[in-house]
Amino acid sequence: MKATLEMINGMKNDGMIGIYAIGGAVGATFYLEPLATADVDIFVMLPTVPGSPLLSLAPIYDYLRARGCHTEGERIVVGDWPVQFLPAHSALEQEALAQAVETEVEDVRTWVLGAEHLVAIALETGRAKDYARIVQFLEQDAVDADKLNPILMRHGLAGKWEKFARKYLEE
Amino acid sequence: MNMDKERRKRLASLPFSEKLKIVEKLRDRDRAIAASGLRKMKVRQAVDPVAQSK
Repeated sequence: MKATLEMINGMKNDGMIGIYAIGGAVGATFYLEPLATADVDIFVMLPTVPGSPLLSLAPIYDYLRARGCHTEGERIVVGDWPVQFLPAHSALEQEALAQAVETEVEDVRTWVLGAEHLVAIALETGRAKDYARIVQFLEQDAVDADKLNPILMRHGLAGKWEKFARKYLEE
Repeated sequence: MNMDKERRKRLASLPFSEKLKIVEKLRDRDRAIAASGLRKMKVRQAVDPVAQSK
């Protein structure tokens, strides 16, 4: 992971990407027990090109390929980890990135999405494995309801949370 | 059940770098299983119990 994060930090220093933060199972592992996963999700703010409304991952892939990385489907292998770069499109994702938690992995500086934002993004994504992860966060008291509730309200997820709670938490 | 909860709590309290080493071991184990074809065999046996005797 160290080599992966060093390369991503290099991209940030070179202006290829803006702020970034680890999400998905690896991000959740910051708060929970180690979770099995095949890849690393990196939420990223892409620099905008003046006059172009489109945000493209192509420059990132070109940058990494030029440094010996190779693609594997929709992921690119950086160090020994397949990485999926996820541009922060929604207001929720942008807020999550702006409030990411700074940490270190083997002396390499990095950022992880906050627990409450990971839960909110999982709720929004809404696959079975996302719901299972939310349950893990709740079981381990890894989320602060006083922080989570305003996020759900702000991003229109309160109704979805109620449905989730009825189905998975009241049985 | 309590032991499992305690174990998970203990694992969750490890430093992030240490937890990531465990995640990497889990990933490598999954890759090895996938490469060996064991997973496919297991799925096939679940779908077709007769395959178990083959």
